Amino acid sequence: MTFLIKNKKQIKSFEITPEKTYLNRRNLIKSVGILSASSPLTSLLADNHEINKASLAFTKNSEFSTRETVNSFEEITTYNNFYEFGLGKSDPYRYSGNFKPKPWTVLVTGEAEKTGTLAYEDIVASHQLEERIYRLRCVEAWSMVIPWVGISLMDFIKKFQPNSKAKYVAFESVFRPSEMPGQKRRILDWPYIEGLTIEEATHPLAFLAVGLYGRELANQNGAPIRLVIPWKYGFKSIKSIVKISFKERRPKTTWNLAAPNEYGFYANVNPTVNHPRWSQARERRIGSGLFSAKQPTLMFNGYAEEVADLYRTIDLNKNF
Amino acid sequence: MKNTIRLIIFISLIPFFDLILKAQGVYGGLGANPIETIIHTTGDWGLRILIVTLLLTPLGYYSDIAFFRQFSKPIGLMAFFYSLVHFLSYAIIDQSGDIKIIIVDIIETPYLIVGWGGFLCLLFVGIASHKRLQHWFNKNRPTISGIVYTAAVLAVWHYFWQAKTVEIEAVIYIVTVCILMLWRLKITTAKK
Repeated sequence: MTFLIKNKKQIKSFEITPEKTYLNRRNLIKSVGILSASSPLTSLLADNHEINKASLAFTKNSEFSTRETVNSFEEITTYNNFYEFGLGKSDPYRYSGNFKPKPWTVLVTGEAEKTGTLAYEDIVASHQLEERIYRLRCVEAWSMVIPWVGISLMDFIKKFQPNSKAKYVAFESVFRPSEMPGQKRRILDWPYIEGLTIEEATHPLAFLAVGLYGRELANQNGAPIRLVIPWKYGFKSIKSIVKISFKERRPKTTWNLAAPNEYGFYANVNPTVNHPRWSQARERRIGSGLFSAKQPTLMFNGYAEEVADLYRTIDLNKNF
Repeated sequence: MKNTIRLIIFISLIPFFDLILKAQGVYGGLGANPIETIIHTTGDWGLRILIVTLLLTPLGYYSDIAFFRQFSKPIGLMAFFYSLVHFLSYAIIDQSGDIKIIIVDIIETPYLIVGWGGFLCLLFVGIASHKRLQHWFNKNRPTISGIVYTAAVLAVWHYFWQAKTVEIEAVIYIVTVCILMLWRLKITTAKK
């Protein structure tokens, strides 16, 4: 299957200032009067936003990218869930400053011909990075549109030649309570574990992100490498991955263990199956403005055409 | 007396003014999800002030300070004010004021039913505290007090139930309200 469209482009996306940021910057310059001339964008964003992360070379995957308005860098880096840094939506932004995403290795193990430990740099160097603009729908009923940079999970997995016993792929996050204050309390059963069926993991939309807005991932967004499964609720897209294992049995995943009646193993975005405590029919798009209405949530987060086939034999009401 | 009431109103409105300032973009603004910030902040303060109101009873009972007995009404009304803004910002901003959508949303969201119940309790007491109903209000103080405690239980439940995990703040509120209820019960039985 060909899905990689390699268009060498002249201007990287992060070099283009989104119109909103541009206008805000103009307003700020007007109101403040003077602003450090060297780098206005850096002045606007606090250090912890990690604008200083290295830029990445990548192609644009227009086939899989949505044309919807992309959320701002500031929205994406100041509002998200990453309980390893705290329960609040801005906690990851506030408390991820001490996290050290380098050096980093990922252990690949389990039912595969090739296994072993990979350095982050080797993972990045051995793949052509691409940008994919995906919708992200949180189980809490808010959503964003995010320009990730990374590699196809299918391409990554292929290299290890999983065998016929590999029915599932399990992912594990890093456990570093000294750098991740949220891990000092047992809010969840650390380390965070997530999993996919092998069919899901090798679906062309499944993605391993190493970057955001053309630069390396910010700590608060799951540096240095994270999963992005756009048709599933955000908690499936595990962050700061240290281990990937091919398994015969379904892995016990963190949120599913914490509340099995609320968070299923599949966790596909589904407007017709409500969370037991709240509706999933609509979502608030971050950045849409204070008085804008919530928008309807789409089946499989709008990726039904691509992924519905994966689930044609299972009852999505039971396997939520 | 009047000045004390003014001071109570002013102090308890500080978080509200803080929200108004943030809505104007002052110090960081309301964040990436402004409506969530408004709903959470007003809900938090409604609950906190409600707990303060309940705390006045035992404090008044065990001390000679008149303040605790005199000002439960204005402080309680400030809790009602926050719960009103909390509910209105949910209904008008978050749900765009669409009654049909609100009804479906409340039915589908159990913690909203509980929160709605708590709000109705406070609304009732708020109306009953009007000057014209003063006689009736004073005659039925035990009932009114019971309704306020019910509101606190529902509000804490509403707060606890909307979170994905057990939040420390929610646990603190639950423990506090339980202690306050037991305390109140002790006082009531002691009186008899």
